[in-house]
Amino acid sequence: MKLMLNFLTFLILSSNVMAAEIVLQNPKVNKQAPAFSGIDSYGNTINLSDFIGQPVILEWTNHECPYVAKHYDENNMQAVQEQAKKEGFIWLSIISSTPGDQGHVKPNKANELTELRSAYPSHVLLDESGDIGMKYGAKTTPHMYMIDSEGILRYKGAIDDVGKGMQFFSASLKDAINYVAIQLNDVKDNRQLEISSTVAYGCSVKYNYD
Amino acid sequence: MKNIFLSFAILFSSLLLANPVETGHAKASLITNLQDPNQESFHIGVRLQMQDGWHTYWENPGDSGSPFDAEWTTDEGVIVENVQWPTPITIPYPPLMTYGYEGDIVFPFQVFRSQETNLKEIKVDFNFLICADICIPESASLSLDLSVIAPSEVLNKQIRSLPTKLISTESSIKGDNLVVRFQSDAPFLNAYLFPREDNYFSYPETQQLVNVTGNTYEISIPLVSANLESFSGILSLDGEGFLVKEELQSATGGMSLWQAILFALLGGLILNLMPCVFPVISLKVLSFVSMGGDDHIKIRNHALAFVGGVMSTFLSIATALMIIRSTGSMIGWGYQLQSPVVVGILTLIMLGIGLILLTNINIASGLTSLGTNIQSRNDYSGSFFTGVLAVVVASPCTAPFMGAAVGYALLQPSFATLPIFLSLGLGFAGPYLILAIKPKWISALPKPGAWMETLKQFFAFPMIATALWLMWVFMVQTSGDALIQLLILGLCLGAAIWLIATFEKKWKWFGLLATIVLSIQIFNNLPTPSLMQADANSTSWTPTIESELQSNNQAYLINFTAAWCITCQTNEKAALGRDEVQAYLMNEDIQYIKADWTNRNTDIAVGLAQYNRTGIPLYIFWKPGMSQSKILPAVLTEDLLIRYLK
Repeated sequence: MKLMLNFLTFLILSSNVMAAEIVLQNPKVNKQAPAFSGIDSYGNTINLSDFIGQPVILEWTNHECPYVAKHYDENNMQAVQEQAKKEGFIWLSIISSTPGDQGHVKPNKANELTELRSAYPSHVLLDESGDIGMKYGAKTTPHMYMIDSEGILRYKGAIDDVGKGMQFFSASLKDAINYVAIQLNDVKDNRQLEISSTVAYGCSVKYNYD
Repeated sequence: MKNIFLSFAILFSSLLLANPVETGHAKASLITNLQDPNQESFHIGVRLQMQDGWHTYWENPGDSGSPFDAEWTTDEGVIVENVQWPTPITIPYPPLMTYGYEGDIVFPFQVFRSQETNLKEIKVDFNFLICADICIPESASLSLDLSVIAPSEVLNKQIRSLPTKLISTESSIKGDNLVVRFQSDAPFLNAYLFPREDNYFSYPETQQLVNVTGNTYEISIPLVSANLESFSGILSLDGEGFLVKEELQSATGGMSLWQAILFALLGGLILNLMPCVFPVISLKVLSFVSMGGDDHIKIRNHALAFVGGVMSTFLSIATALMIIRSTGSMIGWGYQLQSPVVVGILTLIMLGIGLILLTNINIASGLTSLGTNIQSRNDYSGSFFTGVLAVVVASPCTAPFMGAAVGYALLQPSFATLPIFLSLGLGFAGPYLILAIKPKWISALPKPGAWMETLKQFFAFPMIATALWLMWVFMVQTSGDALIQLLILGLCLGAAIWLIATFEKKWKWFGLLATIVLSIQIFNNLPTPSLMQADANSTSWTPTIESELQSNNQAYLINFTAAWCITCQTNEKAALGRDEVQAYLMNEDIQYIKADWTNRNTDIAVGLAQYNRTGIPLYIFWKPGMSQSKILPAVLTEDLLIRYLK
């Protein structure tokens, strides 16, 4: 198995594409969440390890994506953010759009959006290279991750259960089962979740694939 | 909230009710292949002509995106089925992968209507996600006037290219991959398996393909979750789609190769006791008895010749089945009985054996040497052909036991089919194989005597009973007129047997010749098979009936049956056909559906394959609240059935 892996790595490295850069990881729930470091919209360097002792939520976002737009237009994402903040969570909104692609924003614009939408992120991370997104295997916007206060990944997947199909755009998000909101307490108590992994839905994360 | 949407919908439909509609990045239109205003079943297609660089999604969109949503408004008596998905293509956005369609695509929907309904306008609210680098939800309210006949060649072309053929696969989980084995005789360059389930697989840009041997390939799909029990999807070979559906062997109800081999061995053994086989077999044993306990080597050789006959016949059947399967046709056990000619010939064989047993004659021809002729002790070919004959007469009497093993064998690649059939043969020939090894054991049987003659005559009756049953099958398949012709043939056969037994050489051959000439005459005039009449209180099966009824929340019981399937007939008499059962079905509003496989029908074969079966009986039950339909046991009683339905 190890030999195979080595061989595969060799193949990937030796093929002349920049394949090594575009491999999505698949972190396991109930295991240590991958460490990362990124720049927020105020120019601060943010490390995941800064928040040991506090539970953390990661939200992949792209304000121009119609799925994200609906969550914010209906004040649904903000409500979850507010609830999480009250429970002592750190909320990191992460934008992995590559410059020039949909959803990519300058720091000022990011702060403007937060204010305009009355959102409650602790930080907005600008992940232009897509590094953090790749480490977490973020595929869609929105794509949600919950990490407990010991740094263990407890949840990855969709924000709620209405994403399958086009009925999302006519459904009421208020009636949805919000996987993040209903499991805040369990994550806070460093417990394994009943629903720990779901299939995320939405627009694709706009990585640099050219 | 609902009201707001309703008013929105009304607003939109009044604005956009048209055909075609520009939605922003696509032109949407409704087309149909209705050719005649009285047609009961036809297709309607939603055609999307997307701008360059834009795409929409398959049922499983891959890493992101969404399949479309269609809400039909029809007159009463008109039913629009679920969409029949065209074969998707991969639309990579590395590191992500999506599955969908580009350019000009038609989504066909099958429509059923009752004859009383006049076709008027049909409407659909079609909501879809259309994406390039970015995604936009777009929608169209389309309407089509069905009273105007304008069949669309674009739609027919799409229907012709739909994936409808089920490709048989054998899959196993190896490490982090699902390895799917399939066969293709046609060469291809690219293969991709699009999985329908959205939570078990990751979606790579290419899937590893290995050519195992000749026409056998293995394609690997990376798994994200190992507790996969079944999967389905579309296998695309250079863009040509094949349906894939499989229960994994580890899942409950599945069978491993060893289990199947064991079942086949047992099934073969049990086959010896079937009413149509037992007499033939017993005669063989009787001939051993009459050889006496002294001539052990002869007994051994005869037993071995018999085993050889059995094994080579099973081998031929397996080979024939594999050849038929390699042509891509769906076949199942009992298949051979779907041809009235085969049933007719079997009837005559049974009848012939019955008559020979009754008339107490020795016929010294190889074909009918039933082991009764002690004179030709060295005629081992007689024993060999008795083995062949035993397998031939056994074929209509396959036990449900054996059906499961053979069904499994037929879904397997060749390397597994062969051992299963060989094991079946070994089980069947088992008692004689033991006799060959220990010829002394024959002495344990009673001494030869007059009782043998009486027993032999008695055995004529199970044979004639089997012939009667086959006659009924034949009648259902063809007509009463054809049955009379078959019976006349039977009469000729009887006369021939009598002639051969009673007269000297010259007359014997004359009689035989006359019989053959008559037989050919009659068989040439056989009418073509006609379909069986459906029961008054049952619905006929269609390939899409299950999804249709489930979406209507209608409970149902499907009975896959055939006139030649003796277990099916027993179950119908003992359970399904009983008044109490029928009343129960009526009261509980369970729709009773019959899938009649008496004559060859590919749709039903594909339907059976979806349950991993190639043979019948098969009973499927579903009621609202159940996540999946349930397979009922193959042997039913009234109590058992009602208990299952509860």
